[in-house]
Amino acid sequence: MLKGTAAGAAGLVAGLTPTMAPAQDTVTLHFHQSIERWTPVVENFQELFPGTEVAFINVTGIDDEEVASKTLTLLASGQPLDAGKASTEVTALYAGEGIAAPLTERVLDAKDELSEYFSDMAPILPETMLWEGDLYELPDGCNAPNMFLNVNMLNKAGLDVPPADWTKDDFVEYARATTNLGGEETFGYGWPIRIWGSWGPWHYVNNTNFLTEERAPGGEWFWETFYADNDDVGHRGGGFRWPEANANDPLMVEALEFVMSLTADGLAPGIELGGGQSLSGLFLSDKVAMTPAGGFWAGGLYNNGMEKGEFDVQYWPKWKSQRHQLGVGGNWLSSVTDNGDLMWELLKFSVRTDQMLALKDRYRPVMRTTPVRRSMVTEEAYEPTGPANWRVFYDTIDRPDTYPIPSPPEAAGMTGIHNRAVGLAMSGEMSAQAALDQAQAELEALFARTRGG
Amino acid sequence: MASETLATRERRGSLLGWFRADTFEGVRRQRAILGYLFLLPAFIGLVAFVVGPMFVSFGLSFYRWNIFKPPDPIGIANFQRLLTDSRLPGIYGNTMLLVVGTVVITQVLAIALALGVTQLRSRKFAYFLRTAWFLPVLMSGAAVGVTLSYLFQREFGPINYYLGVLGIDRIPWMTSASTVMYTIIITAVWKNLGFIFVIYLGGVVSLPQEILDAADVDGAHGWRRLWTVTLPLISPIMLFATVINVIGAMQIFDEPQIMTRGGPGDGSRTAVMYMYEVAFKEQEFGYGSAIAVTLFIAILIVTGIQFALSRRWVFYG
Repeated sequence: MLKGTAAGAAGLVAGLTPTMAPAQDTVTLHFHQSIERWTPVVENFQELFPGTEVAFINVTGIDDEEVASKTLTLLASGQPLDAGKASTEVTALYAGEGIAAPLTERVLDAKDELSEYFSDMAPILPETMLWEGDLYELPDGCNAPNMFLNVNMLNKAGLDVPPADWTKDDFVEYARATTNLGGEETFGYGWPIRIWGSWGPWHYVNNTNFLTEERAPGGEWFWETFYADNDDVGHRGGGFRWPEANANDPLMVEALEFVMSLTADGLAPGIELGGGQSLSGLFLSDKVAMTPAGGFWAGGLYNNGMEKGEFDVQYWPKWKSQRHQLGVGGNWLSSVTDNGDLMWELLKFSVRTDQMLALKDRYRPVMRTTPVRRSMVTEEAYEPTGPANWRVFYDTIDRPDTYPIPSPPEAAGMTGIHNRAVGLAMSGEMSAQAALDQAQAELEALFARTRGG
Repeated sequence: MASETLATRERRGSLLGWFRADTFEGVRRQRAILGYLFLLPAFIGLVAFVVGPMFVSFGLSFYRWNIFKPPDPIGIANFQRLLTDSRLPGIYGNTMLLVVGTVVITQVLAIALALGVTQLRSRKFAYFLRTAWFLPVLMSGAAVGVTLSYLFQREFGPINYYLGVLGIDRIPWMTSASTVMYTIIITAVWKNLGFIFVIYLGGVVSLPQEILDAADVDGAHGWRRLWTVTLPLISPIMLFATVINVIGAMQIFDEPQIMTRGGPGDGSRTAVMYMYEVAFKEQEFGYGSAIAVTLFIAILIVTGIQFALSRRWVFYG
């Protein structure tokens, strides 16, 4: 089987037509992905590798940590899985626990095929998928939380879309102007409690983070192979590390107090835990003027009835800096698969531009997330939906200080600690300082258990 | 005749013969075996999906295990951690509040509705009410959670809107740790009331008419008849309904998981949610199993107390 697969791969590289690919036995790949979204890509792949069947494993959850925990439980119960999707939050978990296979050797072997792919994306995107010097995922989508603006409400308040260099004080003015618009109950700002988006952008622009940040050594092989001509990679390494808890850093407390003040002043509604469904409902119905969201909201808002021109997007306002959060999604390869060669062919195949575009309802007819490929982020792609400032999505990723969300192998435990602390502060049960002190103590206990420190 | 007897003996000598034996003993044996055969699928299910996992979970509580690596025996360390886990008392407090609130409200309402429905003269209206009250039972906990979280939304939810019409200030149904458990109780009651109601309805309609008539003749009407005749007669049903209601309430998961994910803080986190999060999200299956053991013991104790107390108030006459 592997012989056939290797020959097929060789045929693909050499540009053979599908009919020239050698016959092989049927191989079923078990893939944690959406069957609806991926079926067109798999059908295209089957033309090149006729003996391939794909059994899709559907795992859903409220957030990425929950999807990961269900996926791991499936694996533990003996469910075969050759590859699956994962986002920044859980990449280190899969890599650190040896669930995902390092792709380093495979990527180097496929250097010629993948050079165009990596050259088409900002270096921070693959860097986020590196762990201790090895690459673990081929990224396909990414989102940095920007400020989504309800243009209907801005217009009603007599405001223009703010400039790129707007500040936190400008933001507060915008929030005040769009709260209780025209005597109706509206809010200037809204956000849900979670790790990505949420209040995170505020502590990022306050130059701090929930955990301390560090670039791991290594990764030279990657930068020298794929980004040798890029001046922006000298400081990059072998991925990211999150050495210590930093929850009660004074700058973190200051940022949390700031978002608490927005609710206390009536500029933001009561903050709920969740994926942001109620928030998008409030934004769609012109009840909330500003909220953190990523490129995935453009297609989402449009599909839910918001017309082009009714919403726009801008960088996060400046505070001590204008540093942005980042989350990246991609596919990992199992470390225990028997079908690694064929699965790897499918993963490589799926990141070709034509195949990314073939994914159903992902990047066409409207953008449901920001593609990692810069060449796909075009005026034409956002033409049906807007926003007018669509360039902000990828320009944020290109900003030199954009940094991934905290994502240690203990991401699930960390997320729970974060959400509890922020929930207690936002419900008025604790002060920002007390809530983040509690988070700090819980994080230290978590790391002591998992890292033995 | 002699050859028949021999044949019978030969048949009895084999397993098939033993089974087919046409004596009184043989027929009894056949019936018993058939009975065991009918029980076998349920027994296999019980062992595979209830008793087996229960023992495995108990065993796991003495290990550290995160799926990726082989389980590491750590003795009673997980149980020692339970004693120092500062979150556990609050979470069990939530669970107990949920049990008391849900069970008291559900039982009172279910009895009242069952008695009320049987008094209705319009059978069509009675059918309509039975169906309406039972419908939420058929809905998934997740669907109920999503729907009710919109209704309970603080600023724009219809519940606060109508309370506002009545001049009542907005209630932070899901965003305040001091009110969120009451929101979960209301949701759980709404979701599960129909099931308990149907149990009581079955009991109320089968009350012996002659005893009720005799009570009437003796001058027991209204509240007096309810307290001294009706409730004692349905007390065995009350015991059953309360026991399953308590066990169900101690295991409520879907609604708080969907509506609040246990927040704010641990404000609406229940013991089952905590067990799930520790085991499946944080990959600490040993500690999660230790929490499961405590929950099992808690349910056992509460159920035992219910049965012990039932001797004082359940009337089996």
